[in-house]
Amino acid sequence: MKSLHSAQFIVSQSIDSDAIFTLLQHEFSLHETDHTRLKCHYLDTFDWRMYQKNYVCSWYQTANKRAKNREGIFFIHEKETGNSICELPLSRVPKFSKDINHQAYRSMLDNILGIRALMTVAVLTVKRRQLIILDEEHKTLALLQLEQYTIDESADDDQPAGRLIVCPVRGYPKVFKRVVQLVTEQLKLPHSREALLDEVLTVTGKRPDTCKLTGFQELESSFSTWEAVRILLQHLFSVMQANEYGLREAIDTEFLHDYRVAVRRIRSILGQIKHVFPDKLLAYFKREFSWLGTVTTPTRDLDMYLLKFDGYIQALPDDLQQHLEMFRLFLQRHWKIEHARLCRALDSKRYQKLTSEWQKILANADMPLQREMSTGSQAQETCNAAEPARIVARQRIWKLYKRILKEGGSITPQSHDEDLHELRKSCKKFRYLIEFFQDYYVGKSMKQLLKTLKQLQDNLGDFQDLCVQIEQLNGFAEQMQQEGLADTKTIMAMGVLVERLNERKTALRAEFRRQFESFIQPEKKAVFVEALRVQQHEGVTE
Amino acid sequence: MKIVACYNVKGGIGKTAAAVNLAFLAAHEGARTLVWDLDPQGAASFYFRIKPKVKKGSKGLLTGKKTLEDVVKGTDYPNLDLIPADFSYRNLDLQLDEVKKSDTRIQKLLKPLASEYDFIFLDCPPSISLVSENTLIAADAVIVPTIPTTLSLRTLDQIVEFCNKLNIDHTKIITFFSMMDNRKKLHKQIVENPPQHVRVLDASIPYASDVERMGVYRQPVPVFAGNSRAAKAYRALWEEIKSVLH
Ligand SMILES: Nc1ncnc2c1ncn2[C@@H]1O[C@H](COP(=O)(O)OP(=O)(O)OP(=O)(O)O)[C@@H](O)[C@H]1O
Ligand SMILES: [Mg+2]
Repeated sequence: MKSLHSAQFIVSQSIDSDAIFTLLQHEFSLHETDHTRLKCHYLDTFDWRMYQKNYVCSWYQTANKRAKNREGIFFIHEKETGNSICELPLSRVPKFSKDINHQAYRSMLDNILGIRALMTVAVLTVKRRQLIILDEEHKTLALLQLEQYTIDESADDDQPAGRLIVCPVRGYPKVFKRVVQLVTEQLKLPHSREALLDEVLTVTGKRPDTCKLTGFQELESSFSTWEAVRILLQHLFSVMQANEYGLREAIDTEFLHDYRVAVRRIRSILGQIKHVFPDKLLAYFKREFSWLGTVTTPTRDLDMYLLKFDGYIQALPDDLQQHLEMFRLFLQRHWKIEHARLCRALDSKRYQKLTSEWQKILANADMPLQREMSTGSQAQETCNAAEPARIVARQRIWKLYKRILKEGGSITPQSHDEDLHELRKSCKKFRYLIEFFQDYYVGKSMKQLLKTLKQLQDNLGDFQDLCVQIEQLNGFAEQMQQEGLADTKTIMAMGVLVERLNERKTALRAEFRRQFESFIQPEKKAVFVEALRVQQHEGVTE
Repeated sequence: MKIVACYNVKGGIGKTAAAVNLAFLAAHEGARTLVWDLDPQGAASFYFRIKPKVKKGSKGLLTGKKTLEDVVKGTDYPNLDLIPADFSYRNLDLQLDEVKKSDTRIQKLLKPLASEYDFIFLDCPPSISLVSENTLIAADAVIVPTIPTTLSLRTLDQIVEFCNKLNIDHTKIITFFSMMDNRKKLHKQIVENPPQHVRVLDASIPYASDVERMGVYRQPVPVFAGNSRAAKAYRALWEEIKSVLH
């Protein structure tokens, strides 16, 4: 169904529908409807996925409490043109793509949203009056909507301007053209220059500046290690904070995931960039961020099982599929418990203390140097802080690279799973460091190395996930029996599932060698060395 | 995209009423829907208040001077478009006969619309002709409204035979009882013992004055009588057809 280009004009307060009516009635037969009041919920994900793809998602419902038809309508519009892509009746604000019944739109949303949830980014009250242009058979040829807007949370004098929207009907282009011409020439209304959503976001001050969450501030090559580390840590901490609300409210699983990635990255910096923090402080932060990792793990694990659940069901033979439902129930029940526990941890004094200590440290532009280094040993502890970040990071990256070569090279088909886990961790640290300090090193060639590294990491990551799942599934089965949630069929279904996962694990293990070989190809190594331009004489204490 | 043809050899038994109401219900749920009024009498076009006129007529379409996309009209309802009838369609049969691959022409014409619509309803004229052959071939489902009388059941057999003769998969024929009157003994008897050799839906459309009133309001029944017996019957019918189509 072709979406048609509507025309939107900005309307000053002084123009009312009468003026438009008078203008058009000479040429057209018109029907005017009463005012209706609508609530418009603009929807997008936390990271503005719709907006970035140039779509506007909204859900409209009548604001008239006595209205008979309270059913809402879900829209997707193209942001620039205002063209309607989708118009669906929907009784509730949709959250995930699966809430959309229509298959084509569901898969379109699924491609954009993935596992992210739609959230309300703004609520607007729309006062609308419609003017319908009819032919002699009373068939609609074009539609004019005169709209006035109130953003619920904004002051009266700070509201978007009203609009006149002329909507064409397919197959009647002449009428549309003529109406647009009359409105432009006679009423002299200016075309609207931006999407209404953009205007609303300007008023509310909410901006989809996603770079704040994804990219780092650029590191200058003159930065000392502390200066660079401080910028990175500040950024990661702000990612944690930005995701806290969503993970507490469990809006979607990505909040917790992104929160945990930020924690892991912070821990990686604390562990990898040595001699920047005084020992005692470092030990405290390492311990506390490690604790944060631990308290968030059970909820994340359960999230992961629930996300994978449909895949689990499909891995089973048809007759066993239904018996896995008890397992889902079990997971959901435990998710609630663990999530509540996690929220309590975030409310705890311990967490408050960590965040305030952390902010205190990061607030200080050159903390480790300002302190009077009274004893020689303390000076030793922070001896890298004033060194150029470029050099300190480079040495560490080089070291990790060598470690990966060594660990990976010694893995044989007989090696324990543990050895692969160790390698996985080294790879992760390596990648994080390269990403943190990419301004110093990353060129085109480095990007290629990162690509093969990513494939290797995916292999190792999936392998690790499967090891954990297999072990935990066995534990869950036992626990479910204790909780009286499992009959023999359920246990059997879970047994078959573990078998399937084991098969996949074996396949991944067989695949590992090829991935690793591809990562360590001599030409890739040469490229890497070149990118780092390792000069051994640039000695800095490790 | 699913093509649903509303067809019967017999006239005046509720084909157009079904096409219009079912298409409206589909569109109302958000499905991108198109009705093609193939009947030169233009009843479906009339219900949507759209002039039964296609520029360059059926010739234009068959010669490729116009594509179906060019002649689509928006109705008064979201997600619902119509290709109007045209007086020239009364010669469609002869015109089809003159072109190559005459029995799959309509299918070919509809092809470019596949990505634009979820459902295309064909409102067919009552006849056994090259036009009906075309629609039977193009359709994923052929909805055959049938009045529960002995004579109508014979017509149903004729349609199945027609399909068999042309090598068209007759399992796409879906029958429902139309203009059903429960006070009539014969209607009741036939509904209770429906024919076994074709698919007969559970849902049926009663004889109801609200369906006749479509001609007065020139709107689908659910628009002017949303809670009526007829509207409910069409909703149930649409639900059942959807489940069959999947
Ligand atoms: N269920 C019904 N109850 C009462 N009247 C009905 C019903 N269905 C259709 N009618 C009326 O019967 C007449 C014929 O209906 P309709 O046009 O839908 O049939 P048709 O099979 O499309 O006819 P044609 O073969 O002429 O195209 C119309 O006036 C319509 O209003
Ligand atoms: Mg008809």
